[in-house]
Amino acid sequence: MSKAQKYSVWYILPALTVFTVLFIVPMIISVFFSMTVWSFADFRFVGLQNYKMFFEDSQLLQGLGNTLIYAFSTSMSKVVLALLISIFLTSNIRLRGALRSVVFFPHLVSNVAIGITFCALMHPTKGVFNAVLTSFGLKASKFVYSPNTSLVSVIVTDVWKGLSVSTVIYIAGLQAIDRTYYEAAEIDGASRLQTFWNITLPLVRPAMNTVIILSLIGGLKSFDLIKTMTDGGPGNSSTVLALTVYRQFANGYYGMSTTGNIIMLVMISLISYPLQKFLLSREVSQL
Amino acid sequence: MKKLVSLLLALALCLSLASFASAEGEWEYKEATISMMVGNDQVMTGIDAVLALAKEKLGITVEIENRVDESVLKTRLAAGEATDIVSYNCGALLVAQNPAAYFLSLNDHPEITDRLDDGFEQSVTVNGVTYGVPIDCSNAGCILYWKPLYEELGLEIPKTWDEFLANCEVIKNAGYNAILSADAKTSSTQLIFLGDFYNVMAEDPTFVTEFEAGRAKYATNPAAFKSWQKYETVLPYLQDGHEACGLEDGLELFASGNSAHWIYFSSILGNLYDLYGSEVTDNVGIFAIPGDDPENTGITVWQPEAFYINKNSEKIDDCLRFLEFYISDEALDAYTEAVVPHGAMLVKGYTIMNTYPAVANDLQAYFDAGRTCSAQEFISAVKGANCRSFTGGILSGLYSAAEAAALYDEDCKLQAVQLGLDWE
Repeated sequence: MSKAQKYSVWYILPALTVFTVLFIVPMIISVFFSMTVWSFADFRFVGLQNYKMFFEDSQLLQGLGNTLIYAFSTSMSKVVLALLISIFLTSNIRLRGALRSVVFFPHLVSNVAIGITFCALMHPTKGVFNAVLTSFGLKASKFVYSPNTSLVSVIVTDVWKGLSVSTVIYIAGLQAIDRTYYEAAEIDGASRLQTFWNITLPLVRPAMNTVIILSLIGGLKSFDLIKTMTDGGPGNSSTVLALTVYRQFANGYYGMSTTGNIIMLVMISLISYPLQKFLLSREVSQL
Repeated sequence: MKKLVSLLLALALCLSLASFASAEGEWEYKEATISMMVGNDQVMTGIDAVLALAKEKLGITVEIENRVDESVLKTRLAAGEATDIVSYNCGALLVAQNPAAYFLSLNDHPEITDRLDDGFEQSVTVNGVTYGVPIDCSNAGCILYWKPLYEELGLEIPKTWDEFLANCEVIKNAGYNAILSADAKTSSTQLIFLGDFYNVMAEDPTFVTEFEAGRAKYATNPAAFKSWQKYETVLPYLQDGHEACGLEDGLELFASGNSAHWIYFSSILGNLYDLYGSEVTDNVGIFAIPGDDPENTGITVWQPEAFYINKNSEKIDDCLRFLEFYISDEALDAYTEAVVPHGAMLVKGYTIMNTYPAVANDLQAYFDAGRTCSAQEFISAVKGANCRSFTGGILSGLYSAAEAAALYDEDCKLQAVQLGLDWE
């Protein structure tokens, strides 16, 4: 053993106990119950039948597809838009403090409140959005009430809300960049674009990675906004995995619901773990 | 001998007096507080009137909790934290709820069960054990129509679905809205399908048993698939913006008198009456969702929810007192005085004093002729939980009837597996 053991067993035992009892044990129990049809009173072991049904049911698969669309599109939008906003907010402008507060504001409002508000704003006949669209001569949209636009409507709302935290993370990252790099670039006669591309972007990468991972995982398990805005509809056009799991639980399909949870856990792990490894390997050190 | 006769007579007199007194509603007064959970979409006017009377006559104060979602009730029952009295569906949904584990048997209480309407009693009886009393009158899935429009355009009550569509065409051409649909309340989109069940059973009486055995499917059984096809045929007649029309919007639109039909529950009469009074409800008539046979039109009936007593309640005696009172003539009078019922009260020997013309004239005729059928959910335990997604999906243009029916079949399979049925 090249590395000496840092802590004694007695030192980590309390934390280990809490972690085992509250996380490891329930996870193992969940895996077991995902292979049963259970109610609170009893259970019936069915092997992998739940998993088989899950992957055979086109509705559940659509939920899986929607989840991926939702997670990746919200995450990418947040990564790009929040970067632009944060660069703007770290530049030398008036009212910088006030604007930063304004950007952070959506994060303070609950998702349910945002969902209800945006639903009202997006109402096809009484909503403000359509009033604005039609006043510019554009075609009115049915937003959350049309199967073609329902998922996009929720994605836009999610991005609006999620930008706040992403921007704050970016601002922290941008401010941590040593000013001397910019001074050196200026002396060398680099253009603004060159400065952005060769200094800002590589050095803000740790912050960007945090934003990517957080928003992606947030998107994969997103529930409340979709539940309040569309409830998965019309039809199943905006159903996502978390909503399916909730519905199955609400319907008393506890076994299927547990199966859905395990699938969600595996999916999030499979996506986020390799992604994080890859992203960390690309980070450059600021020396 | 004379003495004996007079003694017997005196005894008989006492007995008859005693029974007279109890019939008069001499209720035992004992102060108590019981908790009760009711659905959050339940119209409370009538129930509130009975509760007020119960407080006065029985001394029982009832604390109401709202059931936001079915999962709340299921979870609380399972956790042993439900209210003393629970309002919940009867029929197949009650069976699925495992009533023996959670609800008190009323079999030892003939003073309650003897009063129940036979059809209703069947739907709250599981394996020979009776559990509940009706909280409300029965409901029907039907087509509500605006009578002044029918008179103005000289239309006849349609006896077949084709006649119905022909009427819609006339109404649309006259510049009115033929069919009102409040799709934002997605559960309401199921009514064309669920309310058509009388026609399914009339054409193929074996459907339910075959369906429950996993052999008949909606997508392939000709009689059952017709219900889904009806969605495609109504599409051209729905009002603009039906996708975003909520129940409140729907009520306002219908009361304005520009819409000819609304395929919904007869209970919507109560909402219309609460908001707009009898000027509106007097203009509303009801006919059954027609099928193909003009000689056989009938109506699909929903049994009301029932009050069940939580088996683990600490106040079972008070709960029993309350249930007995709830279905007494005295309580029903208070109920029907406060809210005009949209169907029969389901208590033996009780006649409703006042009701809507649509109920008294139109709906009652189907009951008198015996042309009624309980909705499928009261007969079969298998009802796909996401039905509304598929019916709403057709109306929003996402699915064809065939796609939706096939998706619903898949959804039913999920439920069947949960119930332990052997489905392929």
